[in-house]
Amino acid sequence: MRTLQGTPASPGVAVAPAWIFSRAALDLPKESVEETDLEVERLRDSAEQVASDLEARSAKAEGELAEVLDAQAMMARDPEMIDAAVEAVRTKRTPAPRAVVDAGETFAEALQASENEYMAARASDVRDVCVRIARRLVGADDTLSQMSQRSVVVADELPPADVGELDRDLVAGIAIAQGSRTSHTAIVARALGIPAVVGLGEVEVDPGDEIAVDGDSGQVFVEPDEKTRSEIESRASRAEDRRRHLIERAASLEGSTRTRDGRRVEVAVNVATEVELKAGLEAGAEGVGLFRTELLYLDRTEAPSRAEQSAAVRNLLDPLEGKRLVIRTFDFGADKPVPFLSLPTEENPAMGVRGVRLARDQPELLDDQLGAIADAASTGDRIAIMAPMVATAEEARWFVERVERAEMEAEVGVMLEVPAAVFMAGEIAEVCDFLSIGTNDLTQYLFAADRQNGRLGSLQDPFAPALLRAVKAVCDAADGRAWVGVCGEAAADPLWAMIAVGLGVEELSMGPESILEMRVSLSESTLDGCRAAAAAALAATDAAGARGAAEKALG
Amino acid sequence: MPEQEVILDNEVGLHARPAAVFAKKAASFDCDIKLVKDGNEANAKSIMSVLKLDVTKGDSVTIRTEGDGAEEALSDLVELVGSL
Repeated sequence: MRTLQGTPASPGVAVAPAWIFSRAALDLPKESVEETDLEVERLRDSAEQVASDLEARSAKAEGELAEVLDAQAMMARDPEMIDAAVEAVRTKRTPAPRAVVDAGETFAEALQASENEYMAARASDVRDVCVRIARRLVGADDTLSQMSQRSVVVADELPPADVGELDRDLVAGIAIAQGSRTSHTAIVARALGIPAVVGLGEVEVDPGDEIAVDGDSGQVFVEPDEKTRSEIESRASRAEDRRRHLIERAASLEGSTRTRDGRRVEVAVNVATEVELKAGLEAGAEGVGLFRTELLYLDRTEAPSRAEQSAAVRNLLDPLEGKRLVIRTFDFGADKPVPFLSLPTEENPAMGVRGVRLARDQPELLDDQLGAIADAASTGDRIAIMAPMVATAEEARWFVERVERAEMEAEVGVMLEVPAAVFMAGEIAEVCDFLSIGTNDLTQYLFAADRQNGRLGSLQDPFAPALLRAVKAVCDAADGRAWVGVCGEAAADPLWAMIAVGLGVEELSMGPESILEMRVSLSESTLDGCRAAAAAALAATDAAGARGAAEKALG
Repeated sequence: MPEQEVILDNEVGLHARPAAVFAKKAASFDCDIKLVKDGNEANAKSIMSVLKLDVTKGDSVTIRTEGDGAEEALSDLVELVGSL
């Protein structure tokens, strides 16, 4: 057994044979071509098929992924690349698959030599396209759609075109050498509930090797020993039983979630992409409580156009069919790669010019985003817009005015994630329709404990009475003038959620994987029970005590 | 042979989407179209060749067209570059 350590990207465990998604496995024919005309025709046909396939995928995709796929389709039809390949077939009798890979490589190397990061990324797009054409030529299309047996997908990285094809019933788990928790693969894996580990460094396994993936700890076991294997298998089967059980219990639930004694709680989903929305709605999400819009901006060398932003919003509004979409305006600062803004480096970006602060610095960027939302909105949509990183009532007022100027029908709110805003929640509620508590950042700022710093884990527990008291302060201050929601990770924990409901929270937004369990848990609770749990937890002196007291109060 | 010099004034030159938009537009014309920067000539219909030219903000490039509809292609492409 070999144990590899990576970054946990999607929770859950799985054990299955390895299905290697590897570009190196392509075997290019070496013998000279006899009938060059026929070979040229095959080359042109395959290139055209790959181009139209990529175009079709682009049409189904969104935003940046759609753009990448569209550019790749153009690369598959690139006249210079095709001409170079055809020339090699005719004059050197090179087999078409080799000719197209070589032709692409010439361009890829030139692009890679550029100092520009964007150009280097296009080099891998060029290689990906040419290898796709070569694979089609040798009849070895290795798209994930050809997988026939339940497997763990092992790859250096998954090209964007292939991530969209992940099939939950066939892909037991994912182990990726590259990538991060925020990569496209990780987002899709979480949305589909496929356990995944990324950032493993090198993954050397043979096809069919047994692989165990632990998406909770970030460990991957190659050819696991009996003990590890049976442990992973029993965890997997417990999780599956639990899922089936939840689906059974959820089957009897009506559309909206209510406690047994009738308290309505809106269970909403956090999304950055359409795939998460789809998964959330399937699990019964009653709306979107947090649409993170950052993906539209990150790694971009030019600002996303108003039309593109508008299309991204519309693509979420359509499947929602009148359910509420809470859009958080852009939340980034010096910590995120946004090349087109060339933001100055900051010593402490988490507390720097980000969120609403950046919006005030560059109001045209916010106006553009608000205009795009207004463009997307049509009759029957329920739109809510909120500002991140609001610290003062004055900032809240400024934001509300900005939204009003965009002239659309929308609720306006703020994220409650700065401690100063907790103390001014009453004044902020005065000017807003809603307050959404972001527990991740609020905990980080409340405890002055960097959320990226694993050694401070004990100061990041959402059950800490200090955080619970902050939630209570916000609910009390809002006092019905504005509704209060929670969209941080804590909102996905049923016990924490019941405490929050007991404190007065009316909306909880979480990842799609948590929706089903939350709806079931809340439907089986009572408002009285939630209030008792809240009172018990508030009186505790530490997080463990609060957790225990709440559990006891709920019986 | 009609040609015109244009200066790339947009933030990213012909790198990101603009390269794809430009090559796609060029490919819609029948005539030959070349993009020239610092004496290096590229087939404007080839996205890979356009990318390879590494045209950045402030660069001056020449668009050269030849064949059927060369004049129209040139004026359309010059206009497109101005709007990028």
